[in-house]
Amino acid sequence: MGFIFNGIEKLGPTGLVLEAILVSLLGILLLVGFIVLRRWYRARYFHKRNQRTVALRSQWDDILSGKISAEDWRFNPLDCDIVESILLDSIEMSPADKLPPLLDCLRVSGLLDMRIYEARTSHGWKQRTALLALGRTRAMEAIPALAEGLDSRLRETRIAAVRGLGRTARMEAAIPILDRIVTGQFDAPERSLKNALVNCCRSSPEVLINYVEQTHGPVRELLARVLGELASPELGEELVILASDVLPEVRASAARALGNTNTSYTLPALHTLAADPEWFVRLRAVVALGQIENLGKISILLRSLCDANRHVRQRAASVLARMEPQLHQILEEVVATKDDYALQAFISELERSGAIERIVSGFAGSGHHSAETALMEVVTEARKRVELSGNAAAAAAGSR
Amino acid sequence: MLSNVIYLGLLIVAIVKNVRHRHRLGSQRLELVKASPFTPPITLIVPAHNEGRSIVGSVGALLGLEYPRLEVIVVNDGSDDATMEKLRHAYQLQTARILYIADIATAPLHAIYRSPLDPRLFVLDKEAAGCKADAINAGINAATSPYICVVDADSILEKESLIRIMAGVFADPGRVVAVGGIVRVLNGCRVVNNHIEEVRLPKSPIEVMQVIEYLRAFLVGREGWAGFNLLPIISGAFGVFKRDLVLQVGGFRTHAVGEDLDLVIRMHRRLHEDRRSYHIDFIPDPTCWTEVPTDLKSLARQRARWHKGLIDTLWPNRDMLFRARYGRVAWIVLPYMWIFEFFAPIIEVVGYTTIILALILGVLSKSFFLQFLLFGYAFATLISIGSVLLEEMTFRRYSDWREVARLLIYCLFEHFPYRQLTMVWRLQGIWQYLRGDLQWRSIKRVGISTNPVA
Repeated sequence: MGFIFNGIEKLGPTGLVLEAILVSLLGILLLVGFIVLRRWYRARYFHKRNQRTVALRSQWDDILSGKISAEDWRFNPLDCDIVESILLDSIEMSPADKLPPLLDCLRVSGLLDMRIYEARTSHGWKQRTALLALGRTRAMEAIPALAEGLDSRLRETRIAAVRGLGRTARMEAAIPILDRIVTGQFDAPERSLKNALVNCCRSSPEVLINYVEQTHGPVRELLARVLGELASPELGEELVILASDVLPEVRASAARALGNTNTSYTLPALHTLAADPEWFVRLRAVVALGQIENLGKISILLRSLCDANRHVRQRAASVLARMEPQLHQILEEVVATKDDYALQAFISELERSGAIERIVSGFAGSGHHSAETALMEVVTEARKRVELSGNAAAAAAGSR
Repeated sequence: MLSNVIYLGLLIVAIVKNVRHRHRLGSQRLELVKASPFTPPITLIVPAHNEGRSIVGSVGALLGLEYPRLEVIVVNDGSDDATMEKLRHAYQLQTARILYIADIATAPLHAIYRSPLDPRLFVLDKEAAGCKADAINAGINAATSPYICVVDADSILEKESLIRIMAGVFADPGRVVAVGGIVRVLNGCRVVNNHIEEVRLPKSPIEVMQVIEYLRAFLVGREGWAGFNLLPIISGAFGVFKRDLVLQVGGFRTHAVGEDLDLVIRMHRRLHEDRRSYHIDFIPDPTCWTEVPTDLKSLARQRARWHKGLIDTLWPNRDMLFRARYGRVAWIVLPYMWIFEFFAPIIEVVGYTTIILALILGVLSKSFFLQFLLFGYAFATLISIGSVLLEEMTFRRYSDWREVARLLIYCLFEHFPYRQLTMVWRLQGIWQYLRGDLQWRSIKRVGISTNPVA
């Protein structure tokens, strides 16, 4: 090759261009060659993999029970990869009572130890793959190795460790994450942390309470948000304390959580939160009120229907419009507020749910003509106003 | 030549970024994203003007996308055909009394409809304003999600494309303000009920050329620029934006010829002016399939319009050039767009004329000229083949090896004579812009599907 370029160089500038042409053509040939070779290799590999998968699947029960020794497949990289994939997929899909034989197979074959070793000693993508695989095993002994991953100086590795711990779905796996979060120095995407904590703390959300109490600022908000997803009725009192937190995000999360806990504390706490200075806390409280069954919420929702924020009004109207047996009474009370925006929001929701026609026909058959006529006039007027004859009116209404 | 060298650099960056993305994707299970309570809601905005032929199927496909919290807003932009009637009939639309706040001024709305068949669907019926941007703005006003995704009514999104594109947001929700997905050529593919059943290359050379162009533009160009956080455009056919930021910049500019490019440049401007740390990303796997022109006349119109859109964005933002406050956008990507995109056809014409004159006058050696031409051609072809390689390394949508072979063969013709044709069309665009001719000329489309709602 060298003599060709030497010869070309003697040609001067023309030679330089010829050299460039040769390099470009060589580049084209290399790229095309690479594409062709890659296609050929992949086709061959997947064909072989498919064949081995079918063969191993047909012997699956024997592999699982140990009748076929792990040594028969463990030291063949392709077989080992296929068996591990099948095992991990099975673990993810299996209920708790079906897990022991699958985990035993992982342990006895040494696959679990291999992954733990890789998670501790490898670097880069190999380490991250090992961390994720360890998480999928849902094995207790995987947790220490995953926790070590949290201390990696590489962000991607820390994220893989968080995800791995989340996938174990074990309460014990939440502790290393929480211990690091409370320091306020742990850097990982909030979404990954929240998802992992939700997965791990689902069966025992009370573990989060202590940590919420220890933390401040954004970390406290993050933990409260997770708690908001997981709260159970047993947490009633603690949630009431959070409902008076100084951080609005925490109060909003407490409102969200209270929606899952219909206790004696719930309604008074939501009553307070529905009058919060922050609109999104009030909105959360109204949404939570929609989730609980208690007629006492009507008065709170009526107040929210006159809220200064349109989202709060709209949501309150939506919740009220779903309280079918009380709709007549609610409508009368909404009219009595003399708040046009509240009435419009409520009528809109009634129209959307289709309940408006039933109410109108209900009035027609009632007998209280004078009161009902007056009420119907207001309703008819409100319905007219709700009509979107032009954007200006709607925009003005909404921007309030 | 310099442009090709830059593209070679972008190709290398794109390959590295692609490999990293694939590794990262491996650790992110999409089914977990779907199940997560923290997955943010998203509003799909579908501007539709005279899309009666395909609108029902398109909306059906969009409602079938896999995303846990989805809202679909179709904006009927004063269609003269049966777009509205078809939607009304297929989805039993009813007038919805919802509050509509015109944060961005648009042409007046006639009504807002909601479907009892699927509460996620809203249809805005508005007066035509003569531009897509106005319809999108109406959709943004009505959207209730923190993220909006603009999709063309005649395009097809793959089922998981929303989750995949949002993976770009999830990576860093605080900084990522917009994410673009890849747009691929639908022509030639087998489509059943608005779903791609089989990915095939189109038959006609003009369409295959566009396949190569799209691969290079998206997999190399956008991926490469995004690697430096310098992405200048997110395709109007498929992109996710943070709604509050779009509102802050005043939405899509009405009557902008290239509203997608214009929006992204204004976002860069605003974010730099506010000194905010941000990222505008490109994710190569969420795919939107779109129909491309099948005849030369339509293609010429499209390319002329794209070039007008480019000038229409670069000129109003010329004050950003070489200003320190706009960072690398002002020093790298905008100059690149001025020199290698806007002036490229002019430079090419001047180059060709000079060479021909030099040959006639005998001041240029014929053999040197031919060699240099061959080198330029070979180098440019190398980049085109590189983009096919990137496709092969990553997504392999064209599974049949004969199709890949065809793609590779067509790469040889992309830089002669196809490139010279696009040069002429871009010059036409410049001429039309200078004459003030910004009108939208219709592009002939075959239509993707006329199947009923799935």
